[in-house]
Order: sequence, then C-alpha cells, then structure tokens
Amino acid sequence: MTAVDSSPDPFATLGLPARFDVDIRALEDRFRELSREVHPDRFVGAAASERARALIATRALNDAYQVLRRPQRRAELVLARHGVVIGDREVLAPAFLMEILELREELATARAADDTARVAALAATMRARQSGLLDGLAPQFAALGGGDDAAALAILKRDLITLRYVDRYLDECDAALDD
Amino acid sequence: MLLQISEPGESAAKAACKKRVVGIDLGTTNSLVAVVLDASPAVIAGDGGPIVPSVVSYDGADAVVGRAAIARGLAHPGDTVASVKRLMGRSLADVDAVVALSPNQLIDDAGRMVKLRFTDGRERSPIQVSAAILAELKGRAEAELGGALDGVVITVPAYFDDAQRQATRDAGRLAGLEVLRLLAEPTAAALAYGLDRGTRGTYAIYDLGGGTFDISILTLVDGVFEVRATGGDSALGGDDLDRAIVTALCGALDGDAGIVRAAMAEARLAKERLTAAPSTEVRIALADRVVERTLTRAELAAIAAPLLERTGKACRRALKDAGFTAAELDGVVLVGGSTRSPVVRDYVAALFAREPLCEIDPDQVVALGAAVQADVLAGGTTDVVLLDVVPLSLGLETMGGVVEKLIVRNSTIPCGATQTFTTYADNQTGFDLHVLQGERETVEACRSLARFQLRGVPPMVAGAARVEITFQVDADGILHVAAKELTSQIEAAIDVTPSYGLTDEEVERMLIESFEFAEDDLVARNLRTERVEAERILAATVAAMATDAHLLDDDVRIATDQAMAHLRAVAAGEDYLAIRAGVEALDRASKPFAERRMNLAITAAMAGKSLAAVEQDLAR
Repeated sequence: MTAVDSSPDPFATLGLPARFDVDIRALEDRFRELSREVHPDRFVGAAASERARALIATRALNDAYQVLRRPQRRAELVLARHGVVIGDREVLAPAFLMEILELREELATARAADDTARVAALAATMRARQSGLLDGLAPQFAALGGGDDAAALAILKRDLITLRYVDRYLDECDAALDD
Repeated sequence: MLLQISEPGESAAKAACKKRVVGIDLGTTNSLVAVVLDASPAVIAGDGGPIVPSVVSYDGADAVVGRAAIARGLAHPGDTVASVKRLMGRSLADVDAVVALSPNQLIDDAGRMVKLRFTDGRERSPIQVSAAILAELKGRAEAELGGALDGVVITVPAYFDDAQRQATRDAGRLAGLEVLRLLAEPTAAALAYGLDRGTRGTYAIYDLGGGTFDISILTLVDGVFEVRATGGDSALGGDDLDRAIVTALCGALDGDAGIVRAAMAEARLAKERLTAAPSTEVRIALADRVVERTLTRAELAAIAAPLLERTGKACRRALKDAGFTAAELDGVVLVGGSTRSPVVRDYVAALFAREPLCEIDPDQVVALGAAVQADVLAGGTTDVVLLDVVPLSLGLETMGGVVEKLIVRNSTIPCGATQTFTTYADNQTGFDLHVLQGERETVEACRSLARFQLRGVPPMVAGAARVEITFQVDADGILHVAAKELTSQIEAAIDVTPSYGLTDEEVERMLIESFEFAEDDLVARNLRTERVEAERILAATVAAMATDAHLLDDDVRIATDQAMAHLRAVAAGEDYLAIRAGVEALDRASKPFAERRMNLAITAAMAGKSLAAVEQDLAR
C-alpha cells in the first residue's frame, strides 16, 4: 500500500516558509487566523458552490496543520523536498530490525503476563529514544546546504524510518497500558 | 475581508426570512432545548420546567415523552424506554452489560443496531425512540417561538463514534428536523462558558452525564474555540453509578423489569440526597425481600471509585494528546448532572489539583452552547468559530487483519485523507474494503463502520490496478468514503453496507411509515424547506452582485439574472421539486462568480500577513 500526497503543499497552505524549523506558536496563531477566514460556518448564508469552496479550503488547511504541527511529519515533508522519499518497503539495517523484533517480543511477553510495570518501563525507554531522535532533527536540518548533503540526508532518512517504528511501538505500549 | 463579502448576503437573507433555530441537548437522562434571543441563550421551559426526561412510553402507536412517560412506566415497564442514548449506533453484543439490567426486550438485528421489542410485538429502532424525544422538544420550541423550526444543532458526546453520530443525525431527520450540525457536548459547554466570560486560555471540560463521559481540552483565543484533544467513554455515566449502588446493596438482580427500574430509581434518589447530606436511608423492595440500610457519602465514594478511575484515565490520556499538563491549564469546567455530586467534584479537584468551575447550571450549559452554535450557523453570531476534532482514528483493514489509519484521532474537522491500494492477484476485478474506527492495530479491537465492495476494476496483472480511496470527515464528524481506479479513471461501483447506521431508504421508509408524517405533511414540509432555501440563495446572490459587481462578466450576469427570475417564478408555485431544480440552476449559473469571490477572499486572507511578517514572527 502506498500513500499518495494529493494535497497541495502544506507550507503554502499555511503561508509559512518551507523549512523544518517552525515556531509552533506562530503556526498555531496562523492556523487560527486562517480558520477564522475560511471556515464553512462563516458561509452558511452563501451559495452552495461558495460553501463547497469554504469546505475544501478548510479541509486543506486542517490537513496541512495536521502535518506541520507534528515534527516527524514535517521532517518527512522537508526531506521529500530534498528528493528523499520514505517508501513503504524500506530496507532496514539488520541490527535495527533484530533489535526492534526483540523489543516487540519482550512487550508481547510483558503484556501476556499483565506485567504493567514492565510495559511502562519498556515504554519509558522507547520514549527517551523518541525524544533523542526528535531533538536531533532540527540541528540536522540546520546543517543541510553545506555542499554534499547526500550523507546527511541518508542519516535523516534513517532516523525518520526509525521514528516510525518507535511510534508504532509506543502505540502498542499505550494500548497495553489501557487494558 | 470575508465578512464584508458574506455579511450583506447573510443579513439580507436573514431579513428576508427570520430564522428559527435552536440548540438541543439530547441527553441520556434528560433533554433540553435552548434558543438565542436578544443575543443571549436561554433554555425553553414547558410544563414542569425546561428539563424533559429522556423517557418514552409507548401505548400502541402513540408515544408519551418525559415526565408522563416516567409515570406510565411504573405500570408499563416493558413499553417504557429510558436511557435509549446508550443503544444508539450499538449492536446487541455491544450493550450486553446494559441489557443485563434493562426492563426492555432488546433484540439482535443480524449484528446491526439493536432493536427494542414492545409488549404488543412492535419493534422500534433506538433511532425512532430518540426521534420521539426530539419531536417533543421540537413541539415545545415551535410553541415558544410561534412557528416551524428552520434548523437545529443537536449535541452528541465528543466521544461518540461514527455510527453513534449517524444514528443521532438520522433521529433528527426522522423527527422532521433540519439538522444544521452535530456538536460535541463539551465543546458546546465551552462555547456557553467562553462567551459568558470572554475567556482566553486552555481549559479542560469534564462532562459526566447520565450515560456518557467526555473530556475535552480546548484553547480559546479571540473567539476561536480549538479542541486540542478529546477522550472519554460513551458507555459510562450516572446510570452506571446507580447500577453499581444497587449491586453493592442488593447483590445481582434478576431481570424483572419493574423491580429493576424501581431499584435503580431509588439508588439514584439516594445518590442525589447524598449531594446535600453526609448519609441517607435507602429502602429497596425486591421480589423476595426488602433491603433497608444507611448509605454514607464515604460508602458512595468507594462504590464510585472504579468508575471515576476510568474517567481519570481518559483525562490523563487527553492531556497527553493535547500536550498539556494539569498544572498548565487555566481551568477545569464541570458539565453534566453527575458532576453535582460532591464525590465526583472531589475526585476532579484532586485529579486536576484545582477547584473546578461550575457557575453555569451543569444540566443546562450544553443546550445553551448548542443554541449559540445554531445562532452562529444562522448568521446571528459572527465572531465565533469552533474547531472540533474527530475523537477516534479512522482506517481501513489491510492484509493480515491489520488496521491502517488514514485519519488519526484529534485531527481537526473537516479533514480528509487519501490512500492508494493495488491489486494482489492477477485479473482481480474487485476489492473488499473494511472501514474501521478505533486506536488499536487489529481489526477485532476496532469498531467496524462499513464494508465496501468495489467492483468494475479492469482486469490487469497483480499490482497494476491502483485504487484510490478517499476518506473525508465532515463538520459533523461523520465519515464519507469514495473510491476510484486510477489507471482507467473508472469510478468503480461501491456498495456500502453501513454496519450500524440507517440507509437513506430506511430513513425515508420510517418517515413515511410514521403517522406524524402523512404524505401531505411531507410535501408541505419539503415545500417550506425549498422555499426558505430559494429565498436565502436569492437574497445572498443579490447582495453579492451588489457588492462585487466588478467580478461579474456579462455572460455570467445574464445567466444569473435569468436563473434568478426563473427561481422567483417557481418559488411562488407549489412544486417543491421545481424549486429545488431552480435553486440548483441558479447555483450553477452563478458558480463562476462565486468561485471568483471565494478565490479573492482566500487570497486576501492569505495576504493578510506577508511572508516577511511571518518570517519575522518565526525569528522572534
């Protein structure tokens, strides 16, 4: 299964420069400002086609906001602008693959044994790793543009793929803790 | 800028046809209707106050609603339905815990929404029972406002899933209401509070009603109400506490309808007495014995603890989703009748480490907020925008019974997502698609919303055909799905079988069957609806043409003028289908003009802040 990006550029939609480093407060303010202008609730008295346009504009705005407010999605977007796209069947480093498989098994065991403390501990470790990876994104993006970016982009790509696995893992930890 | 464009049209339309719009809180235990008059919302009172108990009692084909239904229920428990909201959009398997103590006979409908069977053998959907409550509120509002309603906003628990929302909207349609919007209850409460207080900041809305629990974290800035995260449990409320009290005092009860209902009622009264008093006497008459004893507030707290802990868990998750800690909040607002109990208040105060706010009557605040939103949608209040979210992730089943999420929870609505699938077998001409809602990775752990069969895909080798699936969530939080085969550009045929909701045909059939809507009424209602729409669009078009004449070229002006003349002519007649066609024709004729105005408005909005200014903000 492949995701298709049929939406226009989220940065353009929100009128922000296309770069990873986004001031979240400014993004939120901009989102609210634009929402106030284009939201369908402002067009209830208008003709159907005008209402439809408001709906489309708002949907594009909401979808763009959804992408830009998440550092990971934003990073993937900026990376794609550098020509690096993360596909569905990325080949992982064997060591990382083994590690994540073992961690998943450990989680499954802890879950089966109702060992909440163990699940929480696994989640905490993974969350620390997530923060580390996320914190590392901004300096990596800032360092781009110094000539040969290929190696730097490859590292960014690897980190973002790792983050996808980390996310899935944390989702499962949350589900286990919810039970 | 947009205001200048849309306002003249709106006020002209408003002058042309003064709109009667109301907000309805369709609650598990109680329902209310409210309206904005003179710029402030007020509940509409009937005989015995504004509250209509959400109880319906059937005498053959006739429905009695509210206090009269409660009275009738004493003698006819099997024909009297309380807390029907808990059955909305639910199958029999979903509600087994409720069924165990229900005086009503609930029957399975092939795994779809549960039905109720009455003592005369009639069967009704929970949608029909809810529609009876809505019809009562509608009658009340129309009597107060002196004419037929033009539209309503109905509130739903924020945590209601797609099936429950659809069922609620269908109930509105069945009651003959134009449902302008489904609005999340905590968001409605925030609206009532926010306007009242001119607030700015981030608030938690803790809403514990008769049968549902919601927690929403909202940020209020200059009239924009942005829901940051929501969570809850659509099967947890005061009802459950009543049941827990009965079980704690009497042990498990058998299924005798009258005895169970009386025991639950006594438990509720005891619980309510404990709001003012530290202890109370309880007397519950069972088939074989009478249970008499003293119940203290401390005992109630112990009985309630497991239920309250479930709310606490949802609150912690919502805070985490919103990216806030309890200490960072500006306040916590209590909503719902169950929050009157000191046991609940103490729990919330401890959970958020602050005294919760409850200045507005927790029973009325949701209806008041709904009335404000109805007024916004009718063009009355213009400085408010609500940005609500989808409460649960939406996805599709993929290979191996895994759910692929297309839209994640807490996405602002309306929103959309697109995903492409390829065929996995040679010459495969169809796809089975399974739409699910929920947070888990596996199909079994999520709620099934609908199954699609996509046919007419041209035969190709495996992987060559590409089918694009589009999810769109509208402003009511309801999902719409579309599919297209990309290589052939064929819009493949889709058969939708909603797992819980009603098909349009079913709603139409129920409408026609319902004696309240004899065919004449239906025609009269349609005629009225279409006329109002015609007047609205005519007024809006005239105003727009006056304001933005420079955007009109001659062709469009002539076509629009002709369409307007035609619409005026048919609107004077009695044929609602002709009026509907006339409205559509005018819309088509003026479309290039409308698009130009919209483009201009959006461009202007975008240009409101220059890129340089944005960059400056970023640098700061």
